[in-house]
Amino acid sequence: MSTRMESPSTVVGGAVSPGPSAGLDGSVGSSAIFEIQNLNVYYRAFHAVADTSLNIFQNEITALIGPSGCGKSTVLRCLNRMNDLIDGARVEGRVSYHGIDLYGSSVDPVEVRRRIGMVFQKPNPFPKSIYENIVFGPRVAGWKGDFDDLVEESLVRAALWDEVKDKLQNSAYDLSGGQQQRLCIARAIATSPDVLLMDEPCSALDPIATYRIETLMRELKEQYTIVVVTHNMQQAARVSDRTAFFSVDVGERGQRTGRLVEYDSTDRVFTAPGKKETEDYITGRFG
Amino acid sequence: MMSDQRPEFHAALNRLEETTLSMAEKVEGMVDMAMRALVNSDERLVSQVIESDDAVDEIYMGIRARWMHIMARQQPMGRDLRMMAAILEMNNTLERMGDQSVNIAKIARVTAGLPREETILAKLQEMGDLLKPMIRTAIDAFTRRDAEECRLLPAMDVPVDVLNRSMWKHVVECGHDPELLEWATRMILVSRALERVGDQAVDIGEQVAFLMTGDHQEFLRLHDYGSD
Repeated sequence: MSTRMESPSTVVGGAVSPGPSAGLDGSVGSSAIFEIQNLNVYYRAFHAVADTSLNIFQNEITALIGPSGCGKSTVLRCLNRMNDLIDGARVEGRVSYHGIDLYGSSVDPVEVRRRIGMVFQKPNPFPKSIYENIVFGPRVAGWKGDFDDLVEESLVRAALWDEVKDKLQNSAYDLSGGQQQRLCIARAIATSPDVLLMDEPCSALDPIATYRIETLMRELKEQYTIVVVTHNMQQAARVSDRTAFFSVDVGERGQRTGRLVEYDSTDRVFTAPGKKETEDYITGRFG
Repeated sequence: MMSDQRPEFHAALNRLEETTLSMAEKVEGMVDMAMRALVNSDERLVSQVIESDDAVDEIYMGIRARWMHIMARQQPMGRDLRMMAAILEMNNTLERMGDQSVNIAKIARVTAGLPREETILAKLQEMGDLLKPMIRTAIDAFTRRDAEECRLLPAMDVPVDVLNRSMWKHVVECGHDPELLEWATRMILVSRALERVGDQAVDIGEQVAFLMTGDHQEFLRLHDYGSD
């Protein structure tokens, strides 16, 4: 099959996007695909995330963990400008993707979201056939190619093809929850992203479906960079290469602001974290 | 305000640690008893060491069962995970220290009545005396989570190793008397058992260091670089 959509040349009108940038930490084999510097996010007067800086590395799975309200989903949504869709949201600082400022004035947010796909907590297939779910995005984008091959390739990559190949015209709603989530992953893959953002992708799934998604994530990281928000620390420990732990400061009037506490290899974070705050959280000793 | 979100798990972990400590203190007593059994040819103490080892083996199996149970149900992380790893390692080490005590006690039993050589016996006693503070240091370092205290152990182990290496010369000197030689030859095994107990105390110290730092580290074994 050679029907993959051509990778878009740009997220910036007219300019050619660069290849992967060199690793900021000088490491060989890992290069930073996102560089987040001094990120602050506000929802009107509410300061949701404070002074967060971290790099996300290519072809790795990065897990964002932390208690409710720590801003991990907010940070995730900053990576493909999903927060733009929230009234009153304001992003300060710099989020660069392959060296390009994602919030630059010439950047097309629609193109950003095509290159940086998202999978949500609750499987949200369109009320259409399995086939139409896959081709919907590319068709809207005006893609010209063999849709049948695109559907097959996307479903194969999402480890769903064998289960649905004989019922592609059935409603996506006929699938189980785990299959629907894999369909959503296939739908995201169909638009040829190079990053998949996953916001608690398994929290609505049973353990077997969860393990299938986790296995799929490990397979997909060969071709994609994955950032996953999860409440499940065991899941973060199982699937991710690096883990960022966020915590939340509560102000005098109860306002909650998230901040990054620690970011390190997953092995380190879950066996011997550098910060006491991280260790207290992962061992269940926190307020 | 800090609160424990996993009180049942932490209570189970605390109980496992307490059991490990009580096992360590039992083994500490066994080493001492075995040496007294040897020096005094005391059959009553020999029997006590062997009985104590049965109890230690039971504790060992109990710790393993509870360890598996906790791992399967609680998936510990961070310092809890390190504590679990340290306990499993220490459990194995302490069980072997108990076995070494039994080896010494059994040699005391089979050599009772044989002629003895006082220099060899004095050196073995000296090794036993050196081991007492080593085992205590290892236990205290674990109890107090003292990564510095456990670093004293390799240096404390050096004279034990030196005495062990010198033992064969004294045994050779007993070659003129077949009965004395039989006793002396068995004392080489006692010396070796004591030397192992010293190494095992250092092993416990390494587990304490891992528990506190998260880094797997083997303390510099000075005897590895020494010579006779």
